[in-house]
Amino acid sequence: MSDGNIHGAETAVDAAGITATGGDDPNGVSTSDATAQANADGASSKRRLGLGFWIAAGWLFIVFFAAVFAPWLPFKDPEKNFIVSGERPPYAPSATHLFGTDQDARDLLARTVFGARVSLTVGLVAIGMGMLFGGFMGIIAGYFRGWWDRVISFVFIIFLSFPALVLAILITALLERSLRTISITLGLLSIAPVGRVARATTISFADREFVLAARTLGAKNARIIIRELLPNVLIPMSALALLGMAVAVVAEGGLAFLGLSVEKGPTWGKVILTGAGSRDLQKAPWIAIIPIIVLFLTVLALNFAGDRIRAYFDVRETAL
Amino acid sequence: MRYWLQRLGVAVALLLAVSALTFGAMNLLGDPLFNILGPTSASTLPEDLELIEAAKAEYNLDDPLPVRYVKWGSAFVTGDFGVQFSVDGQPPVSDLIKERLPRTLMLLIIAQTMAVLIAVPWALFAASRADKAVDKVSTVTSFLFIAIPNFGLAVILKYLFSLKWSFFPLIFNAADPFWTRVWQLVLPAMALALPVGSVYQRLLRTDLITTLQEDYILTARSKGVSKRNVLFKHALRPSLFSFVTIFGINTGALLGGSLIVEQIFIIPGLGSAIVEAILREDFPVVLAIVMIVTAAFVVINILVDLLYSLIDPRVRSA
Amino acid sequence: MRKRSNRSAKKLGTAAILSFSLVAGACGGGSSDSTPDDTPDAAEAPDATEAPDAEPAEPAEEPDAAPANTADAAIVIDESDVVEEDSSPVFGGTLRYGLEADVNGINPATSSLSSPGLMMSNAVFDTLAAFTPDGQWVPYLAESFTPNDDFSQWTVKIREGISFHDGTPLNAEALQINFETQRADPLVGLAVKPFFPEEGATELLDDLTIVYNLAESNVYFPGTVSGQLGMIASPTWLAAALEDPNLNQAPVGTGPFVFESRSQDSTTKFVRNDDWWGGDVYLDAIEFIPVTDPDTRNDLLLNGDLDALQTTNAASVGDLQAEDGIQNIIDENGEESFGMINSAAPPFDDIRAREALAQATPLQNYRDLIGLGISRGADQSFVPESKYYNPDVVQQGDNPERALELVAEYCAEKGSEINTVLGETTTCTDGKINFELQWSGPSVVQTRIADILNEGWKNAGFNVTYDEKPQDEHILETAIGFYNVVTWRQFGATDPSSDNVWLLCRTIGGISLNWPRLCDESRDALLLEAQASQDDATRVALYQELQQKINDDFIYIFFTHTTWDNAFGENVRGVCDRLTPDGETTQCATSGRTWFNSVYFAA
Repeated sequence: MSDGNIHGAETAVDAAGITATGGDDPNGVSTSDATAQANADGASSKRRLGLGFWIAAGWLFIVFFAAVFAPWLPFKDPEKNFIVSGERPPYAPSATHLFGTDQDARDLLARTVFGARVSLTVGLVAIGMGMLFGGFMGIIAGYFRGWWDRVISFVFIIFLSFPALVLAILITALLERSLRTISITLGLLSIAPVGRVARATTISFADREFVLAARTLGAKNARIIIRELLPNVLIPMSALALLGMAVAVVAEGGLAFLGLSVEKGPTWGKVILTGAGSRDLQKAPWIAIIPIIVLFLTVLALNFAGDRIRAYFDVRETAL
Repeated sequence: MRYWLQRLGVAVALLLAVSALTFGAMNLLGDPLFNILGPTSASTLPEDLELIEAAKAEYNLDDPLPVRYVKWGSAFVTGDFGVQFSVDGQPPVSDLIKERLPRTLMLLIIAQTMAVLIAVPWALFAASRADKAVDKVSTVTSFLFIAIPNFGLAVILKYLFSLKWSFFPLIFNAADPFWTRVWQLVLPAMALALPVGSVYQRLLRTDLITTLQEDYILTARSKGVSKRNVLFKHALRPSLFSFVTIFGINTGALLGGSLIVEQIFIIPGLGSAIVEAILREDFPVVLAIVMIVTAAFVVINILVDLLYSLIDPRVRSA
Repeated sequence: MRKRSNRSAKKLGTAAILSFSLVAGACGGGSSDSTPDDTPDAAEAPDATEAPDAEPAEPAEEPDAAPANTADAAIVIDESDVVEEDSSPVFGGTLRYGLEADVNGINPATSSLSSPGLMMSNAVFDTLAAFTPDGQWVPYLAESFTPNDDFSQWTVKIREGISFHDGTPLNAEALQINFETQRADPLVGLAVKPFFPEEGATELLDDLTIVYNLAESNVYFPGTVSGQLGMIASPTWLAAALEDPNLNQAPVGTGPFVFESRSQDSTTKFVRNDDWWGGDVYLDAIEFIPVTDPDTRNDLLLNGDLDALQTTNAASVGDLQAEDGIQNIIDENGEESFGMINSAAPPFDDIRAREALAQATPLQNYRDLIGLGISRGADQSFVPESKYYNPDVVQQGDNPERALELVAEYCAEKGSEINTVLGETTTCTDGKINFELQWSGPSVVQTRIADILNEGWKNAGFNVTYDEKPQDEHILETAIGFYNVVTWRQFGATDPSSDNVWLLCRTIGGISLNWPRLCDESRDALLLEAQASQDDATRVALYQELQQKINDDFIYIFFTHTTWDNAFGENVRGVCDRLTPDGETTQCATSGRTWFNSVYFAA
């Protein structure tokens, strides 16, 4: 338990000051809300994901759909200046511009949708890298223990100790401000948190009877890992994945506020930043507030969905 | 004892690794000579070549990277943080740190204090009414605060409480007296404290609920111990684990948050210093701040471990 | 520390960087500048790009005051808001002045001083000459300026009995030391050296008299020492600061206020000089506070947390003008905002590519969205009210068809050349010209500007790569010619001859103050003739011809005339009451800075 690792509750990388929590105490037992709920009021009712989950999932589906199919859907050009002569922008929300426009008469609905493409790409790449590399490293560390564990855990600690946003700024400022750089940087920062969960879960499962049984029957390590451990580890990792996406999306916003987001094209952070001056908040609050709300709802949905998924599967566990 | 030595060893290794990574990144990805000399670095005029040689000697730029790292490192541990490349007159980095660190420290201390003050009573309240309507509302509220992006919250808070309703001052002024400055930091601290406090609250609440299901709680209640005493005296202490752990881990997270909050509230602290330094590729400043933050992180986590052993006797023996 | 040995090395680098900010009129990029409507550089930010004030220009650029001597000049400095009372001034109070940005050092001989830096310098230094509201120079710290017959030699007599704040006496030798220190500085020197002979540039006649020997005739020489180059600092301090550049933060001059304290990026404080040679000083102290976000700066003034501010942000200016309790000094006669093209590197070494870019520029959109009807559209560096204005010169733009024609022509012929700024990219790809737009940031407004321009350019034959750089680097790269197109701010000196430094062939070099690096001998001839002429009609004709040439060369794409606003709270008085020792009124504001000896608070 105490072998120099930072133990305790899991946190997804908090690049922007938001901590999404999972529950994982040193012994690898989940103490998530759901488990507590289950304990608190009986195990029965938590088999369902709940209405809230489906609402969250619905919202996420809408956002993803709009983002993916944006170029083919009837959104306006997000860069064009739709200036109406005689009237100075920004234009308030209206029939022509559902979300209104910013100070340069650019359509905010279009910018939000196209901005979603960037934010979601960043999130997906980040979490993909996290699960792939972090998951792999975590499972190896958790299964084989010993020297592997020491080295991998140490690597994890390095990344966890480094203030995440500082590393993101460092890399982005030194290399280039492109979608690729930002996505990979945030991906790099996701490896450690996801890896830790993978490791902890692997440790807790590796001692279970079914693994022991498999080994007794002569199964090789690789087989055990892939067939017995992986499916079980994937579950908490997936829940964490959603949380991680939320963090990555917010991190992009943070970078934008420091002037370090993608150079061309709208992103949620950039769109919010454009409207965040005190003058605009007073006279044209929709410029900043609408994208903040969209971002907020998406992060909320991701957090909530992730939490419910974990709860759902956790209950399965305790019922075992 | 062995455990602590091991911890220490890991801590030192960690600092080395972090510093090596940062040093490497800055030197490989940036161009030290250009940052020191500007356009002259590309010049071929004889008088400029002298300057170039002087700069190279001064900063050991002809040495291979590992040698430069060692030289930097040995200077660093003796307190010589180097000079700020990008500032006229190249004042020592330590001047900048001395000026900026207290402000960020104040900001973070106020933020963490507020977060704890928010989280603990809230968690106790929610746990004692678990699953009732009030608790559900509280859950939703905490989710709201966790989900709202840091910068969004900062912008909104600044707009509402400094502009629309002038409760708080608009900018931070380093020349003001101490308590005025503290007051100027309250709103930025709140932007950090609200989300973080909500996270603490959720963790604490969860653990409290778990603890409250233990047998000994039931025993205490049946013996007639009041609800309040049960909460405070029996349930709180064992439930503090996750909370304390996250508290420690959050140092890094809070520093990240402070970068943005300092930018939005225009506070000349460590966060804005490192952003500026990175943009200007001022290596010594970046390295110094990264090291300080990492060291703080390590120290705090060791303290957290100590705290663990105080809270939970089971841990002490480990 | 290891300061000494690398001092000179550092100096070049950082001084280079810093000086440029001053020299350049680049657009600042304020961090958190989220004011939407902003004149390009208005991004208040580290405007370090207060070009006009760049002292480097030997001719002082004072883009201030009314166009000199136009009989029927419309008001381009609007002081109508300023309260004039007959009440006598009271002593006391601290004036809190909000600046666009902070500066790195306050040494006129070696620091790059942008408008904020020059503003602070106004408190602690006096200049040899000053300008009247009509744009005429008058002696100030100097007692007299006497030219020789052909205006190539000026004899300057300094006033008697004045000492610097550290007790050093003010004499001719002090002036000589100031001059030589400026000339020796790697950056400031670039604006001094081309205009003086190497040997014998100055001669000391007696304790109080010095002679300046110019390289050519210049009727307007005193104007050049009414700005940064004319700020006289204590020679003792100058020498000490060369040894220890940290002293650049603690200036010592002869001015009405004495330096007290400075916390970088926070407050810089000056206190009353009780022994000021120029008479009574009413304020107890002045505190300069850099506030990079223009919205916040406005809020602070309206809240009463500031007593004065400077801004170029069109939206802020509009808001301030609408407030009853605020006194605004509006100055349009200063800089212009424009896109600047590097004519020394492909693709823009070819005039067709340059013209194409101009024609492709969405000028109307820019002026609507950034100028907001407050900063007027510009076709040239003179405002319409100026006597030098050439009504036939119109900035080309908003013509994508013409642009596409030119692009096609260019690409067919030269499309396979290499654009070195972009690395290994050819100048044309698929019939579109590739180039890089660079600006200083991070700045919300600058980014908006880039997007607005790109929106027009991309549909008219161009592939634009963005490059947002921190201000210092931006100015540096512009100075060494490593750019294609930048957004910039420049011109508007009180006397146009002060702007020569940005246009002459001789200022092109490894580091070039002639930023677009266009050398035109006939243009040089015009400029030199104009600075040697006392005849109004001749000068008007020459400068009008100059504007036409600039327009024909397509090296600048003029956007707007920058609007400076110096705004004061209700209870501030005496802002425009500064007099010379001989009792003449001086200009109230120039390039966003004002003076302080006559200011007081209403009782």
